[in-house]
Amino acid sequence: MRYNVHDITGEFATDADSGQTLYERVYPQVKAGKPVELDFEGVHVFASAFFNFAVGQLLSDLSTEHLNTYLSVQNLSPDGHSVLKRVIDNAKQYYGDRQYREAVDSVMEEYAASF
Amino acid sequence: MQIIPTRHSKSILYVETVSLPRHCDRLFGLWHDIQHILDTSLDILVDFHYCEFLNHTGVAFLGGLARLIEHRGGRITFNWDTLDRKIHINLAQNGFLYDFGCDRYPWDGNSIPFRCDIHQNKPEVNDYLLNKWLGKGWVNISQALQHMIAGRVWEIYDNAFIHSASEIGVFSCGQHYHRQKQLHLTIIDFGVGIPSNVRSLPTNATMTSAEALKWAFLPGKSTVSQGISRGLGLHLIQEFIAANQGTLKIYSNDGVVSIKNGKIEYGTQPINFSGTFVNIEFQCDETYYCLESGIVSTEEPLF
Repeated sequence: MRYNVHDITGEFATDADSGQTLYERVYPQVKAGKPVELDFEGVHVFASAFFNFAVGQLLSDLSTEHLNTYLSVQNLSPDGHSVLKRVIDNAKQYYGDRQYREAVDSVMEEYAASF
Repeated sequence: MQIIPTRHSKSILYVETVSLPRHCDRLFGLWHDIQHILDTSLDILVDFHYCEFLNHTGVAFLGGLARLIEHRGGRITFNWDTLDRKIHINLAQNGFLYDFGCDRYPWDGNSIPFRCDIHQNKPEVNDYLLNKWLGKGWVNISQALQHMIAGRVWEIYDNAFIHSASEIGVFSCGQHYHRQKQLHLTIIDFGVGIPSNVRSLPTNATMTSAEALKWAFLPGKSTVSQGISRGLGLHLIQEFIAANQGTLKIYSNDGVVSIKNGKIEYGTQPINFSGTFVNIEFQCDETYYCLESGIVSTEEPLF
């Protein structure tokens, strides 16, 4: 399956909402073991919020081996690639390190409960 | 800057020149003075007699402050007749006058528009950055680099909209300094401030503002989680500015971050400003930039 990212984001892949939309389309396919290609043709501006939701979030449930096998990107600019790599590294730490995630989330829960 | 109460109901706000980085102190001083008298009976007349130059920082700050006064029920009126002719033209062209009720519609020229965003508007903010700030023909940098800069600056807007809780939105204005070959942009919100947000997490409660700002710039640190990994935005802009001979200054609460010549410093300022003030300066020539190679290895696994 090939997804034209520009259809969702337009020229600017910068916001969390577009990232979440892409994630909801991609996640079931990749999870089911169907190869997915993200084509970034025509997308020029990138920010971390978009990739956190679109791609980083996949690591909450799927292994790096699985994602390397079934998810690929095409026509992603060097800058887009650089932001994506940073997001993946951050997500690997967050989702991969159970202790780290629990520490971050427990602080958040404590904070939310204080209201 | 001075607020002078008069025998009539109006107080007069004398706007002074804002042309140098250190003049930010005047703006924070003004905000501080107004905070103390701001209520629904406040009625201010803005006078520009003592203002010889009002840079982008002054424009964005004054615009935001005016909206803050209105939001809290006060009233603000601008005496446009007291404006110096050149400042008048600049404020007309950049849309400030029109935004505050003057009937001169802005036009496309050398001024970088003043803008206020109540909500995050992706196409408009990106259009502003790419076409009205970077894309005016005064930067000698490739389109790919312009896209990269726009993406990094977007992180500041994103941070303001997600974390600031500013009830009056986010204010921006830019300036091109022809002689220095620099492009500046100021982005201000009048929300809770980054250190306050950071300290709202129990584990960070005792941090000073400088420590809290340092925490906020670390990769992976965010005051919002909801099960999603985040916290890269400020780190990415910091890294980009430091590597490319840019300058960044952030005042938030009583904390200050300064990046200049690749050096990052965290400190404090005397006034505890409720909000976040960001000023960034970029070089207009690509030779100053130290960019990664354009070749992306497809051999290396993505994850």
